[in-house]
Amino acid sequence: MTLPMMTPLVKVDGLHKSYGPLIPVLKGLDIEMKPGERLVVIGPRGGGKSTLLRVMMGLEKIDSGSITFGGKPYISSDGYDRKTLIDNNVRRSIGMVFQHYTLFPHLNVLQNLILAPCKVRGDKKADATERARALLKRFGLDAKANAYPAQLSGGQKQRVAIARALMLDPKLMLFDEVTSALDPELVGEVEQVILQLAKQDMPMMIVTHDMWFAKNIASRVIFCAGGVVVEDGPPEQVLGSPKEERTKDFIDRVFHIRQ
Amino acid sequence: MNYSFDFASVTNNLGPLVKGLVVTLQLTAAANLMGLTLGFVLALLIMSRCSVIRLPAMLFVEFFRCTPAIVQIVWFFYCVPMLFNVFLGSMTMGILALGFNLTAFNAEAYRAAIQNVPREQLDAGIALGLNPFQRVLYIILPTAFRASIPVLLTNGIVIFQQSALVAIVAVQDLMYQGKTLATETYRPIETFTIIALVYFAVSFPVTQIVGYLERRRQLLMS
Repeated sequence: MTLPMMTPLVKVDGLHKSYGPLIPVLKGLDIEMKPGERLVVIGPRGGGKSTLLRVMMGLEKIDSGSITFGGKPYISSDGYDRKTLIDNNVRRSIGMVFQHYTLFPHLNVLQNLILAPCKVRGDKKADATERARALLKRFGLDAKANAYPAQLSGGQKQRVAIARALMLDPKLMLFDEVTSALDPELVGEVEQVILQLAKQDMPMMIVTHDMWFAKNIASRVIFCAGGVVVEDGPPEQVLGSPKEERTKDFIDRVFHIRQ
Repeated sequence: MNYSFDFASVTNNLGPLVKGLVVTLQLTAAANLMGLTLGFVLALLIMSRCSVIRLPAMLFVEFFRCTPAIVQIVWFFYCVPMLFNVFLGSMTMGILALGFNLTAFNAEAYRAAIQNVPREQLDAGIALGLNPFQRVLYIILPTAFRASIPVLLTNGIVIFQQSALVAIVAVQDLMYQGKTLATETYRPIETFTIIALVYFAVSFPVTQIVGYLERRRQLLMS
């Protein structure tokens, strides 16, 4: 990362978004993320966590507010005709992994990995294949290069999905509840891969309900509820001894601790 | 019932029946060629955002879905020459009637398959930076085409059976030859039994293939 230390990697300013005229989801979200940070977003369902990530990926329109990436404008809204302006070049430096396996079922693992590098960036097929094989090897999937998604377990599919996103050398990774749909026994192998990325200082934004994982990976935790940031701080604070009543309530319930 | 079966009257006259089967297969092949290609184009028109394009396309589909095939064939055969002053051979007319019918049904199969491509697949495509054209080419069409194969095959084999209807407008297909033979030999039971078995022998393997493809697809989707 060649950015000066003080320029935030991501700066979300007054983000508003509603689904239709009646269902507001984000009600003025402000988040600043420094380079190298691993931001974990926790909170109740419907609190806007996943929507925030989808907006970050450019998958949703916004009502108002703006997002900058590495100091450059990325997403903004044109107040007059409610248009959302997204800089596609910036978008390409962000990778995302979803809750439901989104591997393309008609392509095998290797083809899933090289599709975007070859078609979007114009990489040579041989080069992309070589990089894909290296990545698969790192994730313990080299034996599955020619398998189709239907032949993989949920954990393997998610690891392939992570590898696929990494093929484009993202400067920020978004993980949207990537272990929620998995069998409990497969959660570990996926989290290991993400922890491995964390060791290499990959900036990431993670939405999760797994508090153990949150504690292990976060450099900062944000508690999001009702479409706003309720609490924002280091993991020891937000997960251990939250200052806000609303956060405390949530953390207590999640850990089943009633005092 | 003391009817003595005499299949020899049919087996001795296999020549016309084989000729009829060839005509039936030609009708089926030509109609399917029309249905598979024009059906795809029609599906795109149905999904158009422009109502001037969409509404006539939808009307075309609904016309063929909401009227009996036999009425379509008869209407085609008698009304098109009078209304538009075009006179084509009975075989061509038969192909056009069956082909347009199949076009309508296949368009619906394509449309359903395209619209059933999961939203998440497209999100993944956007997240990977594919542009709209690439998303259609590399994600939607391959997925949708695979999903539509069982329905397209079923529609195709239904048209093979429906093609028997063109016998009433003097296309010399399997059914037409059978009717003629039954009249000539006074052996309708034997003749139509054989005819039915021939239709069955062609259709049954295809329905089995469709069943196999659907089971395999369900495995792949789980």
